[in-house]
Amino acid sequence: MMSANFDAFFNEIQSKLGTDAVNRSDETLTRYGENTMPGGDRRPAGVVYPASTAEVQTIVRAANAHKVPLYPVSTGNNIGLGSRSASKAGQVIVDLGRKMNRILEINDRLAYCVVEPGVTYQAITDELMRRGGQLMLDVTSGPPQGGPLGNALDKGAGYTPYFDHFGFACGMEVVLGNGEVLRTGDGSIDSDKLVNWHTSKYSFGPILDGLFTQSNYGIVTRMGFWLMPRPPAVQSFHFTFPDDDDLEEVIELCRPLKMSNFVPTLFRVANDLYLSASEGQSKEYGSGKAFSTEGRRALREHFGLGAWNISGAFYGPNEAAMAPMIQRVRDHFMKSGKARYIDHEQAKSIPTLQVAINAFSGTPSLGELGLLKWRPGGGNIWFTPGTPMDGKIANEFQHLCRKIYEDHGFDYTVMNVCGARFARGLHVITFNREDADESKRADACYRAMAKAFAERGVFVGRAPLDYHDMHFAQTMPGFRQACTAIKQALDPNGVIAPGRYGIK
Amino acid sequence: MRTNFTAAQLADPAIAEADQILQTCVHYGFCTNACPTYVLTRDENDSPRGRIDLIRAMLEQGGTPAPKTVHHLDRCLSCLSCMTTCAVKVDYVHLIDRARTYIEQHYRRPLADRLMRALLAFVLPRPRLFDRAMRTGRLAQPFASRLPSRLRAMLSMIPAQASPDILAPRIYPADASRKKRVALLAGCAQQALNGNINAATIRLLQRHGCEVVIAEGSGCCGSLPLHMGREDEAKRFAAANVDAWSREARVHGLDAIIVNASGCGTTMKDYGHLLHTDDAKSAGALTRDITEVLHDIGLITPPNPRAYRVAYHDPCSMQHGQKVIDQPRALLRAAGFQVVDVPEKHFCCGSAGTYNLLQPEMAEALGQRKAAHIDSTTPDIVATGNIGCMTQLARYLGRPVVHTAELLDWATGGPLPPALEGVPLPEPQAVQTQAAPAADAGFW
Repeated sequence: MMSANFDAFFNEIQSKLGTDAVNRSDETLTRYGENTMPGGDRRPAGVVYPASTAEVQTIVRAANAHKVPLYPVSTGNNIGLGSRSASKAGQVIVDLGRKMNRILEINDRLAYCVVEPGVTYQAITDELMRRGGQLMLDVTSGPPQGGPLGNALDKGAGYTPYFDHFGFACGMEVVLGNGEVLRTGDGSIDSDKLVNWHTSKYSFGPILDGLFTQSNYGIVTRMGFWLMPRPPAVQSFHFTFPDDDDLEEVIELCRPLKMSNFVPTLFRVANDLYLSASEGQSKEYGSGKAFSTEGRRALREHFGLGAWNISGAFYGPNEAAMAPMIQRVRDHFMKSGKARYIDHEQAKSIPTLQVAINAFSGTPSLGELGLLKWRPGGGNIWFTPGTPMDGKIANEFQHLCRKIYEDHGFDYTVMNVCGARFARGLHVITFNREDADESKRADACYRAMAKAFAERGVFVGRAPLDYHDMHFAQTMPGFRQACTAIKQALDPNGVIAPGRYGIK
Repeated sequence: MRTNFTAAQLADPAIAEADQILQTCVHYGFCTNACPTYVLTRDENDSPRGRIDLIRAMLEQGGTPAPKTVHHLDRCLSCLSCMTTCAVKVDYVHLIDRARTYIEQHYRRPLADRLMRALLAFVLPRPRLFDRAMRTGRLAQPFASRLPSRLRAMLSMIPAQASPDILAPRIYPADASRKKRVALLAGCAQQALNGNINAATIRLLQRHGCEVVIAEGSGCCGSLPLHMGREDEAKRFAAANVDAWSREARVHGLDAIIVNASGCGTTMKDYGHLLHTDDAKSAGALTRDITEVLHDIGLITPPNPRAYRVAYHDPCSMQHGQKVIDQPRALLRAAGFQVVDVPEKHFCCGSAGTYNLLQPEMAEALGQRKAAHIDSTTPDIVATGNIGCMTQLARYLGRPVVHTAELLDWATGGPLPPALEGVPLPEPQAVQTQAAPAADAGFW
C-alpha cells in the first residue's frame, strides 16, 4: 500500500472517537510489536481502541481514506503464533480487547452466548458459573485471558465434544474491508428480528463465515458460540506407554473409541517432554543438543509419566454411572500389555494431568503455559501439522519430526489431539530468542519440518506469523488466486491486515 | 530480558537478586490482561512487564528515579495476579519490593506525600494509636470539606463503626483435649478495626482442640511498611515477631503460627527471605492461614447448618500470594453455607494494604468494579479472609462483610458475627451454586 497518511488517520480517529482511542506512546509501540518468533519484533505505527461496531467502521473507513494498514487483535494472547504483532511493522493495531469486551447475550435455554472480541474464556466461565453453572464453554489449555472469538477465527480448538471452536460458533457480525457491515448465517436476513442468528448456520445462501477464519477480509465484531450442558460429573482416565514407538499402537487404540464416539472427549496423546516441560526448565540446556534419552527417562520416572501419555474423559450423572465405561476403556488399553492406568483421583494430584482434567471440564487454567519456559529467552513457535488416525503414518511422522528437532538441537515436544479420523500435532519449539544462533536454528527447524510435511501432502493448522507467506506459497495456484480475488472484492484497498496468512 | 548492570552494582546482593529476577522476564505478556491497573488504563507502564522494564532501567541507571517511574510503580497493587499467570514464573513480588525500597531510599517525594506516608507507616502498625487516630478522625469528619483533599479522602475511609479489641499476651486453652498448640498473630490495624475476627478465630481454634497463644512481643507483621518501601522498619517488626515465636516454640512448642489477615500471612510466610535467618525461615514455615489449619483438622459438624448464600471473595494475598483457594470454600461448604464465586475473582478489590489510602482513584475504580461483581451474585452474606478487603468491600457494597472465621465460628456454635446483627437475612433457599449441576439437571 502506498502513500499512507498516518497523521491524518490518527487525527481523524482522535477527533471522531476521542483522544483515548489512540495510543502512540513509545512503550506501547514497543510492546505491541513484541512476539516470540525468530524473525524479530514488528513495531506498529500506533494502537487504536474501538468501543463498538460503529467505531470499527469509522476506523476502517478512515484507513481506506488515508491508505493506512490495520491489524486487528482481540485479547492479544496468541503467544507462539505471533502475540499481538502485526503482519508487518508499521501497521496500526486495532485492539478490540480494551473496550469491546462485553458478553452481549447468554441464552440459558438454547445454550449459546454472544460475545465481543475482547471477551475472555475466564469471563464467560465466570458468568456461566454466576448463573448457576448449568452450561460450559469449551476452552483451550492456553491462557484463561485468551478469548473464544480470536481463537475460533484462527481455527483453534479445545478437547470436549464442543472442541471445534469454529464449528461450534454460529453467527457473526463483520466489518468488511470496505467498511460495510455483514451479518452471517441466519443473521443475514434483512430484518430487525434475528431469531435464528445464533441458532442456525445453514439457512439461505452461501456460508460466508469461513471466509473470516485465518484471513484478512474483515474485522469480526460479534460472534455466537454454542454452549455445552455442564455435566454433573466428569471422570477422566489416563494411560502411559513406555516407548516412543508405542505411538503406533496408541493411535490404533484411540481411533475406534472416537469413531464410535464411545469416548466423548478428544484424546490428548502427549509425549514426555510436553507434559514435564511445564514443571521446570531443561537441565540440559546449553549442551547445543536435543534433550538426551537418559534425561527423558529420568523425567518420566520423576513425574510418573510414559513416553506417551493418553488422557480422555467421560461425562455423566455421577461417578458410579461412568464406572462401567471407564472399565471398558481400561480393558481396551490394557490388552496391549504395555499400558499403565492412572485413574481420575490419582491424576488430580499430578499437575500435568490436572491440566487435561481442567480442559475436559471446561475450566480455563494456566498449567500448560509452563512449558514455554523449558528453555530461557522466551522464544517459541508452534508447528501444527496433522496426521490421519493411522498408527503407522502417525509413527512415521513422529520419526520425521523427532529427527528434524534433533538435527537442529531442539527437544521434541508434542501433543497429538486425536479425533476419529485425524489428529492435530501440537509441536512447540522453545528456544532462546536472545541467542542469535539458536533463533536461526529454530527458524531452520520450523522451515525444515514445514517443507518435509508439505512434501508428504500435509498442511499446518495454525501458522506462526513469520511463516504466513511461506505456507501461502505452499497452496495451489487456484487457491491463491481465489483468496486474492476475494480480498479485492471485500477489501479493495487492502487495509485489513495485509499479509496475514499470506493474503495481500 | 537482557540486563546491563556493572560488576560494582552486582556486588550489592539486592541488585544481584533483582538482576536474576529481571533476566527471567521474557515479555510474553500473559500478565498484562491479568493486571488490574493495566486493564483499567491500558498503559504498558501500568502493566507488570512494563513495570519490570521501568525497574530494570531505574536500577541500571542508579541515582534518583524518574518521577514517571515512581508514578507507575506506586500504582502497582502488589496483588500478584501477574505471578499467578506468568508462564516463566518471574519472582515479581521480590522485584517490586526491591524497587519500592530503592525509591524510598533514593527519591524525595513532595512534602505532603512524605508526611502522609510517614503518618501511615507509624500509625497503622500500632493498634492503640490507630484506634485513637480513627476516633479523632471521626470527630473531624464534619469539617472534612475544609481539609486538604488527601486528608479528606483519608477521613472518608474511616469506617463509621469499629469494634476494637486489642489483645494482651495470653494463653487460651483448648476446649477439650489439646490437638495442637498454635500462636496467633493478633495483628495491628485489624485489632483496631474489628476485634471480633480474633475473638472468633480463638473460639474456633479452641473448639477444634487448639491451645492458642498470643506471644509476648509479637505485633505488626511488617507488611504495611514493607510495601511502602520502608524495609528497615519492616525488618524490625518481623524480627520482633520471629523472636517472640521462636522463644515460644523453643520453650513450649508450636504446631503453627496462625494468621487471619492474609496480607500479613503472605509476608510472614516469606520471613526467611526478608530476614535471612534460620529462625525466620522456621517461623515462615510454621505460618498458616486459619483456613489451612482448620481444613487440616476438619471442621466439626455444624449443629444447626444455615444454608445462606455466601459470596466468597478471594483476597489477593490468599489466592495469588499463598495459593490458599480451596480451603476457605471447602470449610464454608462444610459449615452448611452455599458458596458462590465472584466473577473476575482473580482481580484485586483495590484495598491492597495502604493502596486505597495512597491511590484512592484507582482503588475506588477497582472497589466499585468488585462490588458490582459481588452484587451480581445476589448473596445473602459476603465473606472474605482479610481485613483490608473487608473494609474496602463494605465501603463500596454498602453492606457488612464478614470474615470467614466469623462465619465458621457462628456455624459451629459461636455467636452471630456482630456485623450481621440487625441485618435482615432471607430464609436460606436451595439455589444452584457453583458445585456441579444436580444429576437430574438436564439429561444425564
